[in-house]
Amino acid sequence: MLDLDMTPYAAFVWPAWGVSALVLTALTARAVIASRKWKGELARLETDQAPSSEAADSKRPQVARSAIGPKK
Amino acid sequence: MFGLSNPQRFMAFTGPLTPVLWGLAAVLLGVGSWLSFSVPADYQQGDTVRIMFVHVPAAVWGLGAYAALGVSSFFALVFRHALADAAARAAALPGAAFTALALFTGSLWGQPMWGTWWVWDARLTSVLVLFLFYLGYMALRASIDDEQKAGRAAAVLGLVGLINLPIVKFSVDWWNTLHQPASFLSPGSSGLDPVYLPPFLTMLAAYGVLFAALWLTAIRTEIRRRRVMTLRARLAQEA
Repeated sequence: MLDLDMTPYAAFVWPAWGVSALVLTALTARAVIASRKWKGELARLETDQAPSSEAADSKRPQVARSAIGPKK
Repeated sequence: MFGLSNPQRFMAFTGPLTPVLWGLAAVLLGVGSWLSFSVPADYQQGDTVRIMFVHVPAAVWGLGAYAALGVSSFFALVFRHALADAAARAAALPGAAFTALALFTGSLWGQPMWGTWWVWDARLTSVLVLFLFYLGYMALRASIDDEQKAGRAAAVLGLVGLINLPIVKFSVDWWNTLHQPASFLSPGSSGLDPVYLPPFLTMLAAYGVLFAALWLTAIRTEIRRRRVMTLRARLAQEA
């Protein structure tokens, strides 16, 4: 059975538990927010890079691109 | 085990593991909190005994996090391993927060039991020094722009701080302190009353699993951040 009556030590027990809960929640929130931020940023950059490497490929001389095709 | 030192393998292995750790930490914290307020008050300390269930796990994992930081710093410094450097960096913030919680909750426990918020005895002072090592580590990393130089300098500080861990652990045996000696898993001590073991062990495990979840998530974030920095630099070069 839960006993939530901390008299006469409520002024010590509740702040200890309250601040602990607050700090652990803040650590968790910070970890999740940072994880989402860099995951999103990495995904965005990787999709940005895919067309840019294709574009770089299109700048190659025609002979270089056709060189990998089947021999006629 | 050594295969995990490859960042790609590390990401693949920890990807499914991290949510499991978060879930387990939430369950253990819930059960541990419920058990902590279900046990009877101590015959001497009254309800302040419930502070122990948040104070001791925070102190134990504050020390554990520094051990993780120190060992990772060793591998980062000796083998110049980027993942070890990321692991050291990732352990600093949760470790500092756990140590700060141990100091704060210990102070709240000390006032009604000892009649003082703080005393410069060996245990309290060495834990304060541990907290200062964490702050110094994070400040040093932040103060140097070159990430590699910052990592190396911080790793040296991290290694130096390892000396403090046995001092914290054995301070209550080596010196005459106001802080009580270890009462759990300590030969010859009266030990903890068995009624307090379930909440104590559950909260100890909860804080440990939570630290593991925080640490792994922070390492994964750090790997992604470094990858983003590399890609940005490559894009800037191409432009």
